[in-house]
Amino acid sequence: MSQAPPTRDEANAALRSLRPSDEDHLEFGQRTPLWVQVVKWGLILLTLVVLGYVAQQLIEAGHWLMVSLTAFVGICVLAVYATRRAVPAKYLLPGVVLMLALQIWPLLYTVSMSFTNYGAGHLFTKEESIASIEANSVREVEGSFRYALNLAVPEGADVATGDIAYLLTNPDGEFFVGTLDGLEPLAPEGVEAGPTGRIISAPGWTILTPQEVNARSADLADFAVPVLNDAGEATGGIKQVGLSEAFVGQPTRVHDPETDTITDQVTGTVYTPQDAQWVPEGGEGGALPQGWRENVGFENYTDAFTNPTLRDGLTKIFIWNVFFAAFTVASTFLLGMAIALLMNDERLRGKAIYRSLLILPYALPVYVTALVWASMFNQEFGLINNIFGMNINWLGDPNWARTAVLLTNLWLGFPYWFIVCTGALQAIPGDVREAAAIDGAGPIRTIRSVIMPLLLVAVGPLMIASFAFNFNNFGLIFLLTEGGPFVGGQAQIGSTDLLITLAYRLALGGVTPNFGFASAISVIIFFLVAVISYIGFRQTKALEDVN
Amino acid sequence: MKRTSGAVAVVSAAALLLSACGGDTDTPATPAATSDDTDSETGDAAAEETEEEEAPADEAASTEPPVRDANAELVIWSDDVRAPILTEWAEQFGEEYGITTQVQVATDVRQQFKDATNVDQGPDIVVGAHDWLGEFVQDGIVSPVQMSADTQALFTEDSLEATKYDGQIYGVPYATESLGLIRNTALAPDAPASMEELVATGKELVDAGDADQVMVTPVGQQGDAYHAFPYLSAYGGGIFGTNEDGGWDPNNVIVGSEETIQGGEKIAWLAEEGALNVNIDFPTMESLFAEGRTPYMVAGPWAIPNVQGAEIEYAVDPIPDFEDGGTTIPFLGVQMFYVSAKAANPTLAQEFVNTYVTNEEMQLALFEAGQRPPALISALETVSADDADIEAWSAAGEGASPMPNIPAMNAVWGPLGQATADIVGGDDAAERLTAAQEEIVGNIE
Repeated sequence: MSQAPPTRDEANAALRSLRPSDEDHLEFGQRTPLWVQVVKWGLILLTLVVLGYVAQQLIEAGHWLMVSLTAFVGICVLAVYATRRAVPAKYLLPGVVLMLALQIWPLLYTVSMSFTNYGAGHLFTKEESIASIEANSVREVEGSFRYALNLAVPEGADVATGDIAYLLTNPDGEFFVGTLDGLEPLAPEGVEAGPTGRIISAPGWTILTPQEVNARSADLADFAVPVLNDAGEATGGIKQVGLSEAFVGQPTRVHDPETDTITDQVTGTVYTPQDAQWVPEGGEGGALPQGWRENVGFENYTDAFTNPTLRDGLTKIFIWNVFFAAFTVASTFLLGMAIALLMNDERLRGKAIYRSLLILPYALPVYVTALVWASMFNQEFGLINNIFGMNINWLGDPNWARTAVLLTNLWLGFPYWFIVCTGALQAIPGDVREAAAIDGAGPIRTIRSVIMPLLLVAVGPLMIASFAFNFNNFGLIFLLTEGGPFVGGQAQIGSTDLLITLAYRLALGGVTPNFGFASAISVIIFFLVAVISYIGFRQTKALEDVN
Repeated sequence: MKRTSGAVAVVSAAALLLSACGGDTDTPATPAATSDDTDSETGDAAAEETEEEEAPADEAASTEPPVRDANAELVIWSDDVRAPILTEWAEQFGEEYGITTQVQVATDVRQQFKDATNVDQGPDIVVGAHDWLGEFVQDGIVSPVQMSADTQALFTEDSLEATKYDGQIYGVPYATESLGLIRNTALAPDAPASMEELVATGKELVDAGDADQVMVTPVGQQGDAYHAFPYLSAYGGGIFGTNEDGGWDPNNVIVGSEETIQGGEKIAWLAEEGALNVNIDFPTMESLFAEGRTPYMVAGPWAIPNVQGAEIEYAVDPIPDFEDGGTTIPFLGVQMFYVSAKAANPTLAQEFVNTYVTNEEMQLALFEAGQRPPALISALETVSADDADIEAWSAAGEGASPMPNIPAMNAVWGPLGQATADIVGGDDAAERLTAAQEEIVGNIE
């Protein structure tokens, strides 16, 4: 404290500024300044407008539950911010809403999905699977010919709502009108046709422009002109192919709602519903490709724990996963801290330059760096082996691949700890060090007994966050090794696989995508990370208690 | 912290020790081809892989799926190579019919189309490889295209066959592609008559110091079943047997069959001779060939732009056969236009694929973009007449086996790719392919 004592005037001025002015205080109590009111209501209105827009989109998509949730959020915003009540909620609401939307909702969604068979071949409802099977089975009736086509509505009818009709020309040049009731000849008088025989204009009909046809896609989807046999039964339908051609077709696979079976009318095979798929009666042949989504209870979880490849693999992967995350945190922290300590020395010149250079690995996107590292680790053509004259099979040998992953992650991760530690070191008061020096502590001793404990209090929670991040460090593994190498004659469980890359391979990778199963794995991973983080946080709490 | 550093030291020592013991015998295996790189991408491999290699930053920025323009009345998704040409034709279509069109670039067309269509945000038309078909049908996201018999007759038989699933046509083909032998004519002036001759010539060049590698083709640590298939199928082997109506039978996996194993042994032999190498993946292959460090490259038409860019004099030939009668059969890939089952504008989409894609001019324009033989017979004839490359590529594709388009193929790429990588790395072909067979069958069930 070498400063001169403050003069009397200065002290008075300071006191005055501390004392609340009566005027200001009263004004604050009576009414908020106008501009604050304007900004406040502007923000409330803006929020409501945004929510209204979201609701609009949701209504169009038909998500009614989401619409009411959006409305509820809107009411909450009004209740909390438009009134003078609920002051704590004014601070908490945004965080709570975002947490519910971005954390809790995906979690619940994942959990609910893990109890279904959602995945390739089981994407939609049973009704949709029937519709898709029937629509895809429409074949051109053998020996039938193509009509030239135009689309029209009766003259005077609204082009957007009038009953659609096909104006058809058969290969002999005869004209027809096709409606939902069937095919009627069209008198050739006054009909104008193009070079392909396609009707361009016809009396009594308004031809639709392509745009108008397009606008009526929904009506056209179900439109077909029934073709009747002599007995008056429908044997097929005339259906458009684009805008200018129509064919005679019939579905070869038809669903019978009474028996709930699908019959293939060409082969005569009857398909019955079983395990969310249409399987042929008698078990001969394969199931139809389109299955449907249904609840399967705990099947995904029992699968995860009973599948022998997965069971062995999961244990192996779990151990590596924990080691990978722990080692990464430890190594990047130690290196980052060491450099931060060096850079913190007052005698060092050009710190800004060194610091910017050191942060570089952190600033580059991992997409770039991981791929570059992958090519540098190539055994024959990679930079690393070439420079050091080694012949290490970096990406082909399980342990070297793990080493490669850890090295790359060390390079990617230390700048983070360098930044954090540099900041935390500034916060450690200089007098503590001085005191240590006076007490006769050498530099190592000072770091170990004085700086480290103070630093760890600050960075402890960050270490847990970093652990959780690296536990699920999908990008690095996927870009560097894709989980490999795969040893032991299989391609399912890789040596550097993390649980999350395994879950990805199961869900979206080569093997038939199965979102339900991947969700179950994700839920298991969630519990693992939660437990580890819980233990970790308790440890840091203990660390704080020491102080 | 002391304990941690101790642990670090112990672990690194252990790692060193283990790898010293396990050493190179511990199989230079690696990741399964879980990415779609191997399958399907045949066509897009070029675009995708060069992007990965040269402009990863861009890739990171642009892998976001396109957002459908709500105002456009016809939306087409394709990869970046074809998009400019498609835009021209889509615009012409738009003018003729008085509508607005839009062509959008998707970096991962297959996945993005599936994802977007499931939430009704997908395009009306998507351009891609025929082997995606089974999956698309299974997911109910593509519509049949009812081409008339006359129109069907305009296309080469193989390409039309590839658009069928369960007997139904689901798209209009526009180009075919297969692997061929690309030769650096400065190093190897003559086309080899057999694989044995290829290896001998390559080895001579390596011994003389004129080349570093006998031959290059993508293998990689995780293997590449697509590029390994020509050898695996050389003696009648393959992946699936066929069922009664000629389609692929997912319940008849023949990866572990005697014929396939015989092909696998040829892979082992090629690896021994240095023609196959797990350290060579697609980007490495491209740069080795572009630098003139190898006389031969087995790759598809998508590798050509890079060769031309490096100003290497090259020639294209079919992959040579083996002297003992093994006939190398590459996969035939067909590029086609699919119509989405959830298209917002199905009529216009059907009109576009039925009238425009079947047009010779458009097929010729698309050929300019991709340099692959057109699927339309008349366009193919026009192009072959004045382009020796295309003649060579269609010769290379002759007798090629259409890549299975059944969804079960998804269960094959990873295990089979890994098996071939392991064989290249020294594993016994018979054992490894039998194990792959079991894994594939297990995956399908």
